Amino acid sequence: MEQHNRFWRIALLAAPLGVFGLFVVWPLLSSFYYSVTDWNGFNPDYSFVGIDNFTKIITDRLFFQAAINTSIWMAAAIVLPTTLGLFLALLLDSRVLGARVFKSIFYLPICLSAVIVGQIWTWIYQPDWGLLNTIITQISGERFRYPWLAKPDTALWSVIIAWSWQQTGLSMVIYLAGLTAIPGDLLEVCEIEGATPFQRFHRVVLPLLAPSTVVVVALSVINSLKGFDILYIMTGGGPFNSSDTLAMHMYNESFKKYLMGYGAAISVVLFLIAMAIIGLYFRQLKKVDRIYG
Amino acid sequence: MDKISRRGVLLGSIAIPMLSMGRMALAQGGEVTISHYFTGELGLKAFNEQVAKFTAATGIAMKDSPVGHEDFKTDILVRAAGNSLPDVFSYWAGARVQFIADSNSLHPIDAMWAANGLDAVIAKPVADSATLYNGKRYLVPFNYHYAGMFYNTKVLADAGMTAAPANWDEFLALCETLKGKGIAPIALGSKNRWPAQFWFDYLLLRTAGPDYRAKLMLGEAKYSDPEVAAALAMWKDLFDKGYFVENANADDWTDSADKVARGEAAMTLMGTWITGYWNGNGLVPSTDYDFFEFPRIKDGVPHAAVGPVDGLVISANAANVDGAEKFLAFMISDTGVQAAWANAQGALSANVNVDPASYNAVMQKAAATVAAADAFAFNYDLATPPPVAEVGLSMFTRFIDDPSKAAEVLAQVATDAEAAFKG
Repeated sequence: MEQHNRFWRIALLAAPLGVFGLFVVWPLLSSFYYSVTDWNGFNPDYSFVGIDNFTKIITDRLFFQAAINTSIWMAAAIVLPTTLGLFLALLLDSRVLGARVFKSIFYLPICLSAVIVGQIWTWIYQPDWGLLNTIITQISGERFRYPWLAKPDTALWSVIIAWSWQQTGLSMVIYLAGLTAIPGDLLEVCEIEGATPFQRFHRVVLPLLAPSTVVVVALSVINSLKGFDILYIMTGGGPFNSSDTLAMHMYNESFKKYLMGYGAAISVVLFLIAMAIIGLYFRQLKKVDRIYG
Repeated sequence: MDKISRRGVLLGSIAIPMLSMGRMALAQGGEVTISHYFTGELGLKAFNEQVAKFTAATGIAMKDSPVGHEDFKTDILVRAAGNSLPDVFSYWAGARVQFIADSNSLHPIDAMWAANGLDAVIAKPVADSATLYNGKRYLVPFNYHYAGMFYNTKVLADAGMTAAPANWDEFLALCETLKGKGIAPIALGSKNRWPAQFWFDYLLLRTAGPDYRAKLMLGEAKYSDPEVAAALAMWKDLFDKGYFVENANADDWTDSADKVARGEAAMTLMGTWITGYWNGNGLVPSTDYDFFEFPRIKDGVPHAAVGPVDGLVISANAANVDGAEKFLAFMISDTGVQAAWANAQGALSANVNVDPASYNAVMQKAAATVAAADAFAFNYDLATPPPVAEVGLSMFTRFIDDPSKAAEVLAQVATDAEAAFKG
């Protein structure tokens, strides 16, 4: 009987481990392997070039621009949905009229795929007939046709706003769940003791929402690292690489310039950066666990 | 319920892959797999109709997997990297085919070419420039296009144009007249970068000539040369004079085609596929739209025509080489297929036996223009290796964003292109 169970345990474990190995571990190891080659994607004959691809990264100006853009993207993708989500959660938790309807409306974008969100916002930003320029034209009374996604100064930020619009609903829901866990008695005591609303928020609500904040930030980091599709749809990294992130740069080098080996080297660097961020996150998580049990 | 036995699980795990492998082998025996980029406005319906004619004539089934034009560039590389290229795929003749021929990923078709007498079917200049790579034939041209200045006939008639501008000065005068009438003379949709390349191609070809341009494309001349700077200076002059629509980098090529069709802009430098798009939208050739050649700029410079050649190639690891070769031979040799496809797509047939009378009036003019040209040059991103083309295409959009930075843009591209050529 025990032997029978053991067989099933191994058999059932083998399937997910097999899938994980095939689709995560194997491509990961392949990337490490190809990062030290000059493979172009087509040619089965390629050479080992040692660390040449990694030294090339040091002199690649587009890599550094992409690294800066990735930092901006991640910082904004964490700060904006987190703060906006918290603001909306506080607003809707204070029993405003139609709170349930608003909760559903604000949560709706997260149900859409990034491709659809990207397309919607591409239309909003369209210079000739897009919603944004039409509103500005109506308000200012002068024809306004700024090409938000086609200008290097605004392309990345325009995508960040679209991204935040989608992600804020998720942060809001997590914070709303966190707010329900704060005892009402505690807030009443604060009020009786004469604490101002700001003091109540700053000294009581915000610290008690720390576990929610950890979850929101973690999800924002993970989602922002995955945030390739919306950029691809809205700008494709353009105009002229101005909104390239590291993931986009890796894609361009691999699939547009046919430099698979170099693209693999960029993916290895991106992997190491992601590992460092995840390491920091787990360290922070342990701290929160120690404080809040 | 019956218990699932250990033996059953093991048998199932072996049987299912065996069955699917058997099914694959069966499928590979008769059918030919194909992937192509003839989708949407580029004629998926018409392509499927031509494929059906092949199946009806030979009994060979085609297993089709079309991919959008822009996505195809990535998709085919992913399939090559995964060693899962289809038997046949469409590809652009020129540097891109050279790249995969150099990578030994294509099946040579010299024997099939000779057996089917394709020398008598395909015009020699097209055959020499588009099908030969490293001394072997790898590609059958399926159709080709010509890039010209397509315009709204009513708008240009209203501006007083009675004949196509014969030279640069006449072209500038026409632009000035249009601008004076409050119409944007030139529409350009460079959001996807490639539509801008025709301007660089023609300005360079008309001022420095096809030989110099070929050297630049192969890395034997430099982007820091005065010839390139002169071409870019002329392009900048057009921007400075306000002849282009605003926000060109925000539009794609269909946006610019729509602006010309609506009369918001007068003309656009585009390939003949624009005729397929306009015809599909109900515009009538010659009545609603027409084209003229990119004007001559400098005396003594050979007059070149620019355009891409869409071809069909066979992958080196094709499972059904015989069926694939039959498909390529049929698609280029059958004049009914060639005429129908060329008309549906707004392309020119690569088959010399296709009666020019089967084209509409605009396409007849395009065919005559190419025939009269001193040279036929592939457009920029098909003439230079893919890593360099990426550098150049980005250069064009950066220049369009701020033409006053032309010198800075050229200095940067000279460095980047040199590095890209070195690999």
